[in-house]
Amino acid sequence: MFKLTFKRGGIHPKDMKELAKDSAFEEMPTGAKVYIPLVQHIGAPCTPSVQVGDYVKVGQNIGLANGYVSANIHSSVSGKVLGFEARENAAGKRVRHIVIENDYKYDEVFFEPLENPTKEEIILRCKEAGIVGMGGATFPTHVKLEPKTPIKALIINGSECEPYITTDYRLMLEKPVEILKGVDLVKKALDTKQVFFGIESNKGEAIKNIIKHATDEQLSVFELKTKYPQGGEKQLIYALTKESVPNGGLPSDIGYIVLNVSTCLALYEAVCLGKSSYSRYLTVSGKGIKRPANLHVRIGVPYEEVVEYLGGTNEFVKIISGGPMMGVSMHNLKTVVSKGSSAILLLTEKEIRDVSPTPCIGCGRCARACPMNLMPMLIDDFILHNRVDDAKAYYAMSCIECGCCAYVCPAKRPLVQSQRLAKKLIREKDMHH
Amino acid sequence: MSDKSAEVKKEVVKDKYIVSSSPHVGTNLTTKKIMLHVIIALSFPLIAGVVIFGLYSLFIVGLSVAGAVFGEWIYNKARKAPITVYDLSAVVTGLILGLNLPPTVPFYIPVVGGIFATLFVKMLFGGLGKNFANPAATARVFLSLSWTAQMTRFMSPINYAQKPLDFFAGFNNIVSSAKYITSATPLGTIKTSAQTGFVDVNLLDMFLGKIGGSIGEVCAIAIILSLIYLLVFKIIDWKIPLTYIVSVIIFTLIFYKKGYNFILPTLLSGGLLFGAIFMLTDYATAPKTFWGVITYAALAGLLTILIRRYGGYPEGVCLSIVLVNIVAPLLDKIFKPRPLGYVKKKKKEA
Repeated sequence: MFKLTFKRGGIHPKDMKELAKDSAFEEMPTGAKVYIPLVQHIGAPCTPSVQVGDYVKVGQNIGLANGYVSANIHSSVSGKVLGFEARENAAGKRVRHIVIENDYKYDEVFFEPLENPTKEEIILRCKEAGIVGMGGATFPTHVKLEPKTPIKALIINGSECEPYITTDYRLMLEKPVEILKGVDLVKKALDTKQVFFGIESNKGEAIKNIIKHATDEQLSVFELKTKYPQGGEKQLIYALTKESVPNGGLPSDIGYIVLNVSTCLALYEAVCLGKSSYSRYLTVSGKGIKRPANLHVRIGVPYEEVVEYLGGTNEFVKIISGGPMMGVSMHNLKTVVSKGSSAILLLTEKEIRDVSPTPCIGCGRCARACPMNLMPMLIDDFILHNRVDDAKAYYAMSCIECGCCAYVCPAKRPLVQSQRLAKKLIREKDMHH
Repeated sequence: MSDKSAEVKKEVVKDKYIVSSSPHVGTNLTTKKIMLHVIIALSFPLIAGVVIFGLYSLFIVGLSVAGAVFGEWIYNKARKAPITVYDLSAVVTGLILGLNLPPTVPFYIPVVGGIFATLFVKMLFGGLGKNFANPAATARVFLSLSWTAQMTRFMSPINYAQKPLDFFAGFNNIVSSAKYITSATPLGTIKTSAQTGFVDVNLLDMFLGKIGGSIGEVCAIAIILSLIYLLVFKIIDWKIPLTYIVSVIIFTLIFYKKGYNFILPTLLSGGLLFGAIFMLTDYATAPKTFWGVITYAALAGLLTILIRRYGGYPEGVCLSIVLVNIVAPLLDKIFKPRPLGYVKKKKKEA
């Protein structure tokens, strides 16, 4: 099969997927307490809908979405609400967490399972069940399902281009029927018939499995070249359609919606089984963990319990929520699993990048690696000299923070950090005008 | 920097972890490793040069490296800044400059040149990555203007069959190079035969390096080996040497009478190949945009041929490199890349 890919840039990191690739999902037992963050998505934090001392059931709403771009939060265990606690969430920010004592009964409340839902019912359920982009971006999914423009095709992202992570790969092997049912629901919600399913070529088994189970004639599975960031929304759309999302615009502007396979699965579970989004599938990997594995974990379980369940650690130096290219490093293992936790990585000193920067030698590797065709070394230079307008003129706002530039940099410059700073300063400056 | 990472290691024991911005993984290529690769690549023409012109050439290159490292070191010391010579970039500068010198120059030329290259061209403009022009090329231009006679005095290759001891004879020049007989170089021959359209040079000798010229520039085959090495390890951008050489061929055809006779002699003479591979590709002074790089290398080819054909000097590689280095930032500005999904800004309706 001809392998599709994006236009320019990109890198080929060691994929390290062999660590967890062959371990099937395990159900992880939950401990005595769970800590459920009130921010698990991009957008406004939730308002707690329970009080200290309340008894809650599994799947019961405990945090109400605040505004349109926000998502409900549900309890992952049954038991008593013990209180609120400020902790570091998986995005590295200190947010309020609801502490719930687990009574191990797992009394669950369900939504009414829908046999043949209408478009409106699907979107409403998506909103109620608090579904967000499970690939890690955590954008509330119901917002995506109500685009302002007509949709030509739905794109399903099964590329999983980040090294180490094997969550989507395992899901495509173990739950292809459920994923495809979820895809059907999204199609219905979007009033579209065409589906492009993109999977990277290093996941041959998953490609075969999806093709085997796909009954829909208008669903085409495409093999994508194994290249990072193949799963970046703009890169994926380009690879599959040869169309580019306009600068500063959304995929829906050119008639596409991109959803991750685990989001489709969550949507299926919410609509057909009536389950709210209180658990997720994730990969725990890295040379720092004794037994790398793929797990099904309830939201609110601290990383330390996950690590303990997997037999402890080897000596490691870095904890990462998400993948090694775009994930966030954590201060300690007290962070809890949330909706966007696609992976927990414990990396040893040999695996990580040296982060002590030296002067830029102007080799241009970052510009050649940039999938957005930017000049990271110039933006880095501009922003360190507070030249915000110049950084903007060199399209710093188009940066997708994929990390290709810093990955290849021989001077080990913190290029992604500079781009983020540039974006922040540009936004602030624009607000003042 | 190494002290810092040691601290980090100690802290890990106390259950603290490294928290830094993404990405958390990267290639293990460092600035120092790149410089080491370039040094290995430069060793091919260096070995060839020493075999062709004798041990004194190695002495010259050594002095040039020492001068370049000293220039950077003294600047660090004077500013009470951390010593930066360990990144080996000064060694590379010294090597390139040394290989650019005739094998008969007196000792002070490589020393002054080396110091000039790093202290004046590199450090005064901000150090590694901030120099406006290639330090070695600029230093060579400076030396050519300051000591024109010594810088154009070339010797014939050692004839090992008849006088093998000439290998050590070069040290006679250590104070003054007057004792050496000047040998004709192919560059001179090309210059004088530009009118006739017929150039009498031995191409095989030029390819093997059995000609007069600068230490590292004569042996084309050694330089081609370096090119292969640098391309295999992805140290240099293939677009620069390729465009430069294509441009040189085109402009040779245009500016020389019966230009096709001049193509190979032009490519194999002087520092053309050496400059194309080691100096034009210098990271700090080459453009970073695709069309910037193409224009830069093409322009360098045009200038080289114009200087060689119509200028007062027989050689124009270094001067043209310095000239295009100066316009490189401008080229990057002209060919500013547009991001994926670029949309033309619509003028606001009045």
